[in-house]
Amino acid sequence: MQLRRIVYPTHWSFLLGEVAVVAFVVLVVTGIPLTLVYRPSIDPVVYSGSAELYDGQVLPAAFASVIRISNDLPGGLLLRRLHAAASYVFVAAAVAHLLRVLLTGAFRWPRAGNYGIGVGLLLLALLMGLTGQNLPFELLAGNSLRVTYAYIQSFPYVGEQLALLLYGGVFPTGEIIQRFWLLHVLLLPAVFAAGLAAHLLLVVRRTHTQLPRRGVDAGQVVVGERVGRGPAARSAALALLVAGVLTASTALVPWADVELQGPYRVGEAANTLQPDWYLFWPEGTMRILPGFKWEVLGATITNRTVGVVFLPLLLVALLLGYPLLERRLLPTGGDPHVLQHPLDVPLRVGLVTGWFGLIAVMSVGAADDVIAEVMGVPLEAVVRALRVALVAAPPLVGWLAYRYARSQRERWGERV
Amino acid sequence: MNRGAAPFGAVLGVLGVAGFLAAAFAGAPLAVQGGALGLGLLALGYAVVSAGRAAGHGEVIAHREVRFGTLAAAAERLGRRPLLRAGLLGGAALLGVGGGVLLRVFGPRAARGTGWEAGVHLVDPLGARINADAVPPGGVATVWPEGRRHLELTAAILVRLSARPALPPTRLEWVVNDTLVAYSKVCTHAGCPVGLFRERDAALFCPCHQATYDAARGASPTFGPAPQPLPQLPLGVDRDGFLIALSDFTVPVGPPAG
Repeated sequence: MQLRRIVYPTHWSFLLGEVAVVAFVVLVVTGIPLTLVYRPSIDPVVYSGSAELYDGQVLPAAFASVIRISNDLPGGLLLRRLHAAASYVFVAAAVAHLLRVLLTGAFRWPRAGNYGIGVGLLLLALLMGLTGQNLPFELLAGNSLRVTYAYIQSFPYVGEQLALLLYGGVFPTGEIIQRFWLLHVLLLPAVFAAGLAAHLLLVVRRTHTQLPRRGVDAGQVVVGERVGRGPAARSAALALLVAGVLTASTALVPWADVELQGPYRVGEAANTLQPDWYLFWPEGTMRILPGFKWEVLGATITNRTVGVVFLPLLLVALLLGYPLLERRLLPTGGDPHVLQHPLDVPLRVGLVTGWFGLIAVMSVGAADDVIAEVMGVPLEAVVRALRVALVAAPPLVGWLAYRYARSQRERWGERV
Repeated sequence: MNRGAAPFGAVLGVLGVAGFLAAAFAGAPLAVQGGALGLGLLALGYAVVSAGRAAGHGEVIAHREVRFGTLAAAAERLGRRPLLRAGLLGGAALLGVGGGVLLRVFGPRAARGTGWEAGVHLVDPLGARINADAVPPGGVATVWPEGRRHLELTAAILVRLSARPALPPTRLEWVVNDTLVAYSKVCTHAGCPVGLFRERDAALFCPCHQATYDAARGASPTFGPAPQPLPQLPLGVDRDGFLIALSDFTVPVGPPAG
């Protein structure tokens, strides 16, 4: 297969996935020196270095190595901040790319399999973020590891065994940091890279979708540029600009600075504990859903089982199965190689908006204590309002989006 | 068209990267390092964009050749044979259930017990014994068993009630001086330390997901995601006035497993 024969349509929205890939490359490039100095262990060591707050103190080895990277390694703090900033852009760009694919109908057969690979890549990105943010073993990371242990335990019937196996014993074990580290620096990126290669290969083999064009049957032809100097230069420019913005941001924003939190000690917690933003959605259900305990068929069902096992699995299943679902609901889908204007398929707009609306309410839930403090209202009021919103908001926004799309289509006709 | 834009950007870019390297090894502040490297990369990007604009770009129309491989062909064949599909899915489900059963029967089990025993003294995080008068009204303290293993499930919190008296379902025989009561510090929701206390309504508060327990009523959950009350630690006093535990917790500590 000659590279030069590939014709690539050009539109700004086709670059979102590429931004995610650039961010991934930045993560790998910054991650390699970080992992050379990081120590994946919670054994106590004495830190001696230029951080005055911790000089001469006994700290877990992982936390001490992160303090060393931040203070004693030339460019170390820049590397850490760049790594964190790139991880946020990585997930954000992947989600934006997913939105573009969903709303323009690029997931329709023959691209449904590739869409599934794409969703898998997004889930891998979330897992890499989860394993990575807990490596410094500061106060927030330790508590995050503890609640993750409880979430795994809540899996029906086999939860306790699963948690003990995955963690290598009762929390806190020294094993878990090593395992998270191995997942984060080796196993997950390797699977991600393989999946990304398959994803891009499939885009080439099924050919890229095309925006509708007057006078051209976009189902039969591809209009764009040959892979060569032009697109290559644009990709290089995009890479340099994204990397440049990320790097400049580290000079202004203290991404992932953990020094003031201190290392994790058993039995200690801070006032407000939130994970990184892209993991707000399972965290929010833990605060919104009320407490309960049902003994059902020999299994114990609690708020955790519903909030971090059933509901996320259901949401992922809906996302993965959306191409199938749409095929049942909308049998006449038009040419699958031709992209559709988002507002031209009102049912799709409604369903996608409803799904993201649920994710949004769940995410807002993770910041309920911050909202209560900033707005000066009691926390119970915020949680009760969110409980109502969790059930009422997704169907409401979905229906409103559907009505809006239909009204636009009735007013303007189908857009080409 | 500005033909000097690309070389200008390239020179600025190289200067920026070199400046970053110098700043990093000289220990310059992070703002200088990040600013230099960021500006350098942005300048290089600008140079590439300018060079690309100068080169121009051409559009072509090519015939769309959609290719399918062996995997896609196999998936399509599977799609036309519902019996085979059902058989494969059923087999996978059986494997999953079988694996789960094996895991449940032969999998690891956590040891019970928290380290608290009858007669063990309560100590603060620095190891000092706690006097029955030490905690002020409305105050809380984290306590551990003296000389015993400190597991994560061992942590306990001592509360001196001031605004409301202890009443059932609190076990009153385990309360010292009518106001001093101790509970497990491990939240029954997801295991975070329940370290926050609101004096006016004797509410113990967990910072992770805001589980709220009533410390004057046996730490029963009053709001939030906790499924069951915090276990109460049986408290007593020794001859010298120091606090001791009368026994281990009588109910399991921590979040219930599935």
